[in-house]
Amino acid sequence: MIRILLADDHSIVRDGLRRIVEEEGAMEVVAEASDGKEAIQKVAATRPDVAVVDISMPGFDGLEVVSRLKDSHPNLPVLILTMHEEAQYVVRAIEAGAMGYLTKQSAPEQLVTAIRRIYEGHRYITDEATEALALRIAKGARAKTPLDSLSMRELQVLRRLGMGHTNREIASAYNISIKTVDTYRARLLKKLDLRNNAELIRFAIQNNLIAP
Amino acid sequence: MRLRLILLVLSLLTFLSTSIGGYLYYHNLKESALLEAEQQAEIRVEMLRINLNAQISANIRPARVLAGIPEIVAALSSPAAASLDPANQVLDHFQRNLNADVCYLMDRTGLTIASSNRNAMDSFVGHNFDFRPYFTKAIQHTPATYLALGTTSGVRGAYSSCPVYGADRAAPIGVVVIKASIEEVEEELGLGPEDIILVTNPLGVIFISNRAQWRYQLLWDLSQEEIESIGRSRQFGEGPWRWTGLKLRDDRYVLDQIGRRYLMNRTQVENYPGWNIIHLRSLDAIAKVVSEPLIRITGPVVFTASILIGFSVFFLYQKASQEIVKRKEIQKALGESEGRYRSLYNHTPAMLHSIDSDGRLISVSDFWLQALGYRREDVIGRQLTDFLTESSRLFAERSVIPEFFRTGACQDIPYQFRKASGEVIDVLLSAVAERDDAGRPVRSLAVSIDVTERNRAERALQLAQEELSRYTRGLEKQVQERTREITSILRYTPDVVSIKDRDGHYTLINTCFEAILERSNDEVQGLTDEDLFPPEVARKFRENDLKVLRERRSFQFEEQMPHPDGTTHDYLSVKFPFYGADGDASGVCEISTDITDVIKAQKQLRRLSASIMAGQEKERAAIARELHDELGQVLTALRMDSVWISRRLEAADPAAAERARDMCRLIDKNIEDVRGMAIRLRPGVLDDLGLVDALEWFTADFEKRTNITCVFEHSRIPVISESIATAAYRIAQEALTNVARHARASRAEVELVTHDRQLQLTVVDDGDGFETENLSESEGLGVAGMKERANLVGGDLEVRAAPGEGTRIRLRVSFPDEPGEMT
Repeated sequence: MIRILLADDHSIVRDGLRRIVEEEGAMEVVAEASDGKEAIQKVAATRPDVAVVDISMPGFDGLEVVSRLKDSHPNLPVLILTMHEEAQYVVRAIEAGAMGYLTKQSAPEQLVTAIRRIYEGHRYITDEATEALALRIAKGARAKTPLDSLSMRELQVLRRLGMGHTNREIASAYNISIKTVDTYRARLLKKLDLRNNAELIRFAIQNNLIAP
Repeated sequence: MRLRLILLVLSLLTFLSTSIGGYLYYHNLKESALLEAEQQAEIRVEMLRINLNAQISANIRPARVLAGIPEIVAALSSPAAASLDPANQVLDHFQRNLNADVCYLMDRTGLTIASSNRNAMDSFVGHNFDFRPYFTKAIQHTPATYLALGTTSGVRGAYSSCPVYGADRAAPIGVVVIKASIEEVEEELGLGPEDIILVTNPLGVIFISNRAQWRYQLLWDLSQEEIESIGRSRQFGEGPWRWTGLKLRDDRYVLDQIGRRYLMNRTQVENYPGWNIIHLRSLDAIAKVVSEPLIRITGPVVFTASILIGFSVFFLYQKASQEIVKRKEIQKALGESEGRYRSLYNHTPAMLHSIDSDGRLISVSDFWLQALGYRREDVIGRQLTDFLTESSRLFAERSVIPEFFRTGACQDIPYQFRKASGEVIDVLLSAVAERDDAGRPVRSLAVSIDVTERNRAERALQLAQEELSRYTRGLEKQVQERTREITSILRYTPDVVSIKDRDGHYTLINTCFEAILERSNDEVQGLTDEDLFPPEVARKFRENDLKVLRERRSFQFEEQMPHPDGTTHDYLSVKFPFYGADGDASGVCEISTDITDVIKAQKQLRRLSASIMAGQEKERAAIARELHDELGQVLTALRMDSVWISRRLEAADPAAAERARDMCRLIDKNIEDVRGMAIRLRPGVLDDLGLVDALEWFTADFEKRTNITCVFEHSRIPVISESIATAAYRIAQEALTNVARHARASRAEVELVTHDRQLQLTVVDDGDGFETENLSESEGLGVAGMKERANLVGGDLEVRAAPGEGTRIRLRVSFPDEPGEMT
C-alpha cells in the first residue's frame, strides 16, 4: 500500500482525488490538509510515502511547502497537482524540489501513474514541462549565452532538432506548418553561426538543451 | 608683302652671285691644274720611254757580240758534245754579266741546242722556237727584238736575236737570243697608285703595267678575228684576253667602266714598231690635288665670308621688314582712326548734324535720321529749319543762327523737331563752329539731346509724388486704428504679454504684466529679468529667450513666475522672435497664460486616474483569482466525477458512459474558457512568480499566438513593487499588442534590465514604424495609455519610431531600495 497525503484548499477537489486514488486499490490516503501549514504538520504526523500538493493555497503556497518538505523530509517525493498549466510554474516546482507535476485536469487519467512513478523514485513531468525545464536550465546556466538572443519558439525548435526530431514531428508538436519549422531552422543556423544539422545538434547538447 | 618679296629676291641674288664667283674661281684653278698635270704627264711618259727603251733594247748589241764569238759559231758548225760545252760556257758568261734571264743558241731549224738554263727544270734545250718572229727575222739576216710571254718558261721577256754566220757568211747557220726579264723592268717603273702605266702591242694587248690585274687584257674592244690572231701568234700565252672596258674620248681622255675619267698620254716605243707606252691619270686625282689645298686654305675664308654675308643679309632683311611693319601699322591706325570717327559720328546714340553757313545740312548721324525717321538722301542739302516746328523755325532764323555764326557756339537751345511721322520731339541743341583759315565760321557741329522722355517723366514723377502723399495719409490713419486695437487687446487680455530686445531689455509690457510686477510699462523700459525677478526665475526666462533667438522659431514653455501675493504661478508661455530689417532676430515676444488652476486640476485628475487604475487592477486580480481558483476548482472536481461516472458505467450502460464523457469534454472547454478569461484579466504568474516569469510566459504565448518571433532577454531583476511590475507588464502587453495589430513586424524583442535602482523595459520591433509627430492622432496605438501608466508609477515612457524603421518603446522607472533579490 502506498500511503498518500493530499493537500488542497478545496474539499470537493480533495474528495475527487481521494476517490481516484482509492479506486486503484494499492493506494491509501492517510492524511488531508487544506493549507500549507497543515500539510507540513500532517506529514510530520503521518509520515506518508507520497505528498500530493496544490500550489494555490492560503497561508504559504504549495511551492513553499515543497521547499520546506525538502529540508525536513528530503526523501519524501512530492507531486505538485495544480490548476496552472504555464511552464513557469513547472520550472519553479521542480527547482523547489518537487518530483512530479500534474494538472488537475489530467488527474483522472494520470494521477495514479504519477504517484506510482515518483514513489518508485522517478520523475513525473509531462513532455511540455520537460521541455520548459530543459530550456530554463540551459538559459540560466551562465550569465550570458548565445541562447539569450533566441525566442521561446526558436529555443523549442532548436531543442527538438537537437533531439533528432524531423521537421514533420516538430510541426505537429507545436501545431505549426513544416515550412515554418524550416524557416526557424534556417534562422537558427544564421543566428548561431552554424552550418548544418550536425553542428546544430552538437550545439544543443553542449548548451544542455537536451537533458534536463 | 611685295616689298618683303623683293628683299628676299635681292638676298637670294646676292647669295647666287657669290656662289657663282666662287665656282668660277674654283673652275679656273682646276683648268690650270689640268694643264700642269698634262705637262707633267708628257715629261713623265718621255722619261718612261727612255727608261723602258734602255731596258728592253739594251741587249741588241750584246746579241751581235755573242753571234760573233767563235765558240758559238763552232757549236753550230760541228754540233758535237765537245763543241757545245764551250758555247754553253760563253752563254752562261753572257747571261751572268748582262743580268739577263736566259741566253740560248738555236740551229738553223729553230731547235735550241745550247742554253744558259740547260740545267734548269724549264730548260730550252731541245725546244724548237722557229715560230717566234725574232727567229724568222734573224734567219733572214735581220737581228730582231720581240716582246712576248715565254712559251716554255712562262716568263715575260724582251728577246734580242742575232743571226750567227758560218765561215762562208752566206747564210746564217743559227741564231743567238738574249732574253731579258720584263718583271724587272716593271719593278723599275714604280709609280703611284693614281697613275696607270700601260705598255701595249699594236693591237692593244697590255703587256706591261704597274697594275698586275690589267696584264694581258685588251685596251680597246677587239673583233673576234683579231683576238684569234693574238692566240695564233702565241705571243701572249693562252689567253683569254678580256677587254679592260676603257673607251677613248676626244683622243685625250679615257673613260673606264664605272665612268671615271682619265687623262691619257702615249708615245711610241723605240725599236718596237706599233708598241705604245700609255700613261693614264685620273682626273679626280688631279682635281683633288688642286681642290684639297684650296679647300684647306680658302675654305674657312669663304665659309666665314659666306656667314658674314648671310648674317648681314638677314640683319638688313629684318630691319627692312620692321620698317615695313611699322609703316603699315601707322597706315592702319590712321585708317582706323578715320573709320572710328566716321563710325562714331554715325553710330553715336546722339543726334549729330552739321550745317554750312547758308544753314543747309551737310551731314547727319544715323541716330539723327533714326530719331526723326528720315532717309539721309532726303535730308542732305536742305535747310535745317525745314525740320523744325513753326515756332522753333522762327526762333532759329531770327536769333539763334545769326547769333551762332557770330559767336561760333551755342548751348542748350530748346528746339522742337518735327519727325517724318509728324510727331514733335523736344530737344536741347548745343553746337560749335568750324572755322576756315580766315577764322570765319564755315560749318557747325551740333548735338541735339532728345528730352521728350525726360519732360514726360518729370511730369509723371510729380503726379506720383502727389499720389504717394495721399496714400501715406491713408496709411497713417490705418496705423492709428490698428494701434488703438492692439492697445485695447494688450490692456484687456488676461494673458501676460511682453516684448524684449535681443539683449533681454524690456521694451513693452501689457496691463496684466504691469499688475503682476506692480510697475508701469514706462518703469520697466530697459530693465531685464534679473532686475525684476529672483535669479533662478530670471535665469530660466533668459535661457528660454535665447533658445528662441537661436532657433529663430516659436516655442512653448512652461514657466513659473512669482506673484506679489507671495505665490508662484505656472504659465504656459508662447515665445516667438521678432525680426529686424537685417533679417536677424531682433527681439522676443512672449504671451503667457496662467495655467496654475489647470495644473492643479490635472494633478487631481491624475491622482484619480491612478486610483481608478489601481482599483481596476485589484478588481481584475480578484476576479481572475475567483474564476481560476474557485470556479476552476469546482469545474475540475466536476470533471473528476464525470470521469469516475463514465468509468463506472462503461460496462453496465455504455450510452450513459458516453454521456458522461460528453459532459467531461464540456467541462474541459469550460475550464479552458475560465482559464483564458482569468489570464486576460490578470495572469496569475505575475502575482505568483513575478515580472520576469510573467513576461517570459507572455512573450512565449505571444509568439505562439501571432507567429511573430519574440525574444525576451533579462538581467537579474531584484524584487520590485507590485505597482511597478504591473505597469511594466501592462506596457509590454500593450506594446506587443500594437506590434501584432499594426506594425506588420516579423520580429519583436523585449528586454528587461536594471541599472542603478532603475528598471528599464524596452520593446523593439522591426515593423513599419510611424511618424512620432502624429503621436496625438495615434490614440488607438495606446501610447497615451502607456504613458499614463508610466507616469503613475513615476516613470517615463519614450517612443521612438520612424516610418519603415520599426518602433522602440522604452520605459524607465526608478524603484526604491528593497532587500532581497529574485531572478
